[in-house]
Amino acid sequence: MSLNLIAACYGAGALSSLLARWSGRLALGLGHLAALAGAVAGLGVSLGVLLGGPGHTLTQPLPNLFPFARLSLSVDGLSAWFLFVISLVAVAAAIYGPAYLRAHSPDAGKARQAAQTLALNVFLGCMVFVCCAGDALTFLLCWEGMTLASYVLVVSDDRDGENAGAGLLYMVMAHGGTALLLVAFLALTERAGAFDFAALRAAAGHLDGTTRTVLFFLALVGFAAKAGVVPLHVWLPHAHPAAPSHVSALMSGVMLKVAIYGILRFAFDLLAPLSGPLPSSWGWTVLVVGTISAVLGVLYALQQHDLKRLLAFHSVENIGIILIGVGLAMILWRREGAGGVIATVALTAALLHTINHAAFKGLLFLGAGSVISRTHVRNMEELGGLARRMPWTAGLFLLGAVAISALPPLNGFVSEWLTFQALLGGASRFHGPAGLGIVFSAAMLALTGGLAAACFVKAFGVTFLGRPRTQHAEHAIEAPPSMIAGMVWLGALCVALGVAPGYAMRLLDAPTAELLHGPTTSSVLTARGPLVLSMQLIPFAKEATAISMTMVAGLFIAFSAIAWVVRRGLRRASRRTAPTWTCGMSPTARFDYTATAFAKPLRFVFAALYRPRREVIRETAGTPYVTRRIQYAGEVVDLAETQIYHRVQGGISALSQAIRARSTGRIYGYIGFVLGALFVALLVFGVRR
Amino acid sequence: MMTGVRPLGLVLLEMILLVLLGPLVTGTIQKIKARLQCRQGAGVLQPYRDLAKLFRKGTVQSDTASGFFLLIPVFVLAATLTAAALVPVVRAGPSAFPLGDALMLLGLLALARFLTAIGALDAGGAFGGMGASREMTIAPLVEPVLMMVVLSTALGAGTTDLGILAAHRGTSWIFAWSAADFLGFAAMLVLLPAETGRIPVDNPDTHLELTMLHEGMLLEHSGPGLACMVLASHTRQIVTLGLVSALFFPVEPLHVAGAMGFLLGAGAFAAKILLLSIYLALVESSYAKLRLFRVPQYLGVGFVCALTALALRIL
Repeated sequence: MSLNLIAACYGAGALSSLLARWSGRLALGLGHLAALAGAVAGLGVSLGVLLGGPGHTLTQPLPNLFPFARLSLSVDGLSAWFLFVISLVAVAAAIYGPAYLRAHSPDAGKARQAAQTLALNVFLGCMVFVCCAGDALTFLLCWEGMTLASYVLVVSDDRDGENAGAGLLYMVMAHGGTALLLVAFLALTERAGAFDFAALRAAAGHLDGTTRTVLFFLALVGFAAKAGVVPLHVWLPHAHPAAPSHVSALMSGVMLKVAIYGILRFAFDLLAPLSGPLPSSWGWTVLVVGTISAVLGVLYALQQHDLKRLLAFHSVENIGIILIGVGLAMILWRREGAGGVIATVALTAALLHTINHAAFKGLLFLGAGSVISRTHVRNMEELGGLARRMPWTAGLFLLGAVAISALPPLNGFVSEWLTFQALLGGASRFHGPAGLGIVFSAAMLALTGGLAAACFVKAFGVTFLGRPRTQHAEHAIEAPPSMIAGMVWLGALCVALGVAPGYAMRLLDAPTAELLHGPTTSSVLTARGPLVLSMQLIPFAKEATAISMTMVAGLFIAFSAIAWVVRRGLRRASRRTAPTWTCGMSPTARFDYTATAFAKPLRFVFAALYRPRREVIRETAGTPYVTRRIQYAGEVVDLAETQIYHRVQGGISALSQAIRARSTGRIYGYIGFVLGALFVALLVFGVRR
Repeated sequence: MMTGVRPLGLVLLEMILLVLLGPLVTGTIQKIKARLQCRQGAGVLQPYRDLAKLFRKGTVQSDTASGFFLLIPVFVLAATLTAAALVPVVRAGPSAFPLGDALMLLGLLALARFLTAIGALDAGGAFGGMGASREMTIAPLVEPVLMMVVLSTALGAGTTDLGILAAHRGTSWIFAWSAADFLGFAAMLVLLPAETGRIPVDNPDTHLELTMLHEGMLLEHSGPGLACMVLASHTRQIVTLGLVSALFFPVEPLHVAGAMGFLLGAGAFAAKILLLSIYLALVESSYAKLRLFRVPQYLGVGFVCALTALALRIL
């Protein structure tokens, strides 16, 4: 019933694109309003399931479109959690969207507005129903719908070659992944003779170990291509900046999480053996891949000067952090000893980071969107000084920056704290090299947090502080109220999830208990009330670790008040403004530190990874001591892109050239090839029979 | 459910003690350095006089700075003070109410550093940017090693709560150390100059552009705002030293209740901090500042020590 309501809302939104024939503005407004209604309905449905406790499942049959499969929707705890996350960001995107599209491209044609309205609603609806799918066919259909709708949105923004290229790359990567998923699903459905998840689960129970592992890795690679896990992340920094900003927020904040949902669904539910732990290769692969993604994602983000590209690389990082939790939960699940408790902590950390990342990454993308819609510039070297011109946007962006850098008292810290605790617990559970590997992962996580902080000092400082570097930034004005409202919603979420995370833990009971069949999140972590996070790493130990984000935030606010009084001074001292000291020259924007300069020391430290290229052209006036003009160009490469993709691309090109040499253009030549291929095929397959 | 032994009053009292002693540590280090250089040097109370002077002064603010600039010193000081509340000073054991653990402490110090760097970019001069860029280069390299040292002690105790970790250390000091403790402590000694902004990583005495990291970021602050920042760096220094002493030294050498116990604990704390201050002063006097791009290699020594400590703890 209520799932129908969600479908009806997004359907109505998609249909309202037809109104664009008469008024593009009306279509955009109504379409986003319907999306908002769908998101609110989604919040209602998911909260109903999550608060219903473990085992509460909402199922609904769908009309039978295909004679061979019964379609259905089924919302259990895990589905409801992801529905909740999607809906939270969708609310912000729906509020933010119309004003952004109007401000960003005021001269957009009706056709583009109709396409964007349609694609946004289809995109949201498909994401919701991927997570709510009760059978493989619904899952795959919605998965494909999600890809296609997001592709339309990626190429919708501007009609230039860069966007088209980004769209093509996205399409290839997404469909490569989908192909692998298709194989994994079909291998299961063939054994089950049905498409619904219950039958697949039962069929998977009889699989032998090797097949199970092969299927898992097929699904893992398929989902990893969507999630942007290194080295399958190359599409992400191209596609996310190309989309309209509220769509980027959805793609980065939510769509990647749908892939995480898929990994969790396959590992803990569909493919999990009936008893005993998961094969250890699964969890370790996920953990290692997650750690690598986290570190490489943030390192590449550091060297990006395109605001949205930088954020896209941070999504790679955060997906990595989520996968560290997922991998650890997979390693520890159903192991004797403290495995169960620590697996719950690890999964909680992963799921909590899912919502946290959705909140702060959504907020940051919307903030970047505000900047871009007012300045039409994405390169932060051309921005600067926006904090005085767009104070609300700047403040909210700073909030998101603190949150994503995993700094207390905001939400990013909570999930990283949980991940650290889970890693520590895992390390104490495993002795030997395995434990050392887990601790090393913890150290890499700490490195990631530190680098993220450095990156966001750069992103915020260069974009919003100092002097405006170009006319675009000079004449920027604050974003309209509806865009700010969308950001405030996500900013409030960051604060709430940071200061009182215990209430979100309550919602995580259903997914953790259903997936792990172990202790629930709140029994492990919030045993001492919702405002305290406490846990015992070693079972039966006297000591527990307990922190209270609420208490720390309270202290922080109290000390801020005291510090404010102290800072103001007991008696009002004089205050005046003066130009910044620039060694006696008149200060201009050229004195401000640039993003390139800011990231330079780290580029130097990690040069082995970046392979930086720099080119300085100097024009001197007769003597080398007087420089007339100096031109600097620098570039860092993405190792995955150059070492893997460019080589594959080169191989394919070479192969095509070789084939081209053989293609004579004469028809009997081709007939000969066909006959030859047929002959070989008959020889190979016919002889075997 | 366990009962804590450190009520809120005690925690706040310890925090106030830390904040009050913070400038004294700086003064002491300066004095020792001066004597090592055969100078008389300023009195150990000089940092207090400097702070008092700054608090009375007026403010000059850059005309390019945004509205955040006024708030930065406030939040930096508040984050550092909150971190100071997490350090067990005179009594070990869990606090009566949950507050934060070692990871929270590191997080709050990182928050203070993050905001300082933001403030440095606000005025729009090249010096602030240079300081911020360098500080944010060193910090991500220090943090994983620091985290590994914390984890290596936490693994033994099964918790990251500093009070419990300190209680675990017990009263037997270096005599009960395992090899992992020695290596962890060695890593900490390598990290200390980096974390407190001293030679060979940073030089707190100059504003010269070749050396400055932390000081470069404070250039545009003035008056009470600068006083807040300076107080925050004094506090940060003593908090870092307090973290080391909580992780590696016994916090409560004598179990005495009441005010006498508090005084004894404070005295013992002062002795430990003095020891570490002398170490810092000796290092500052006997080494030259490293080139910026040599610092990663220097920190690598700490990384190897911390990794070996962890390996010994786990294997």
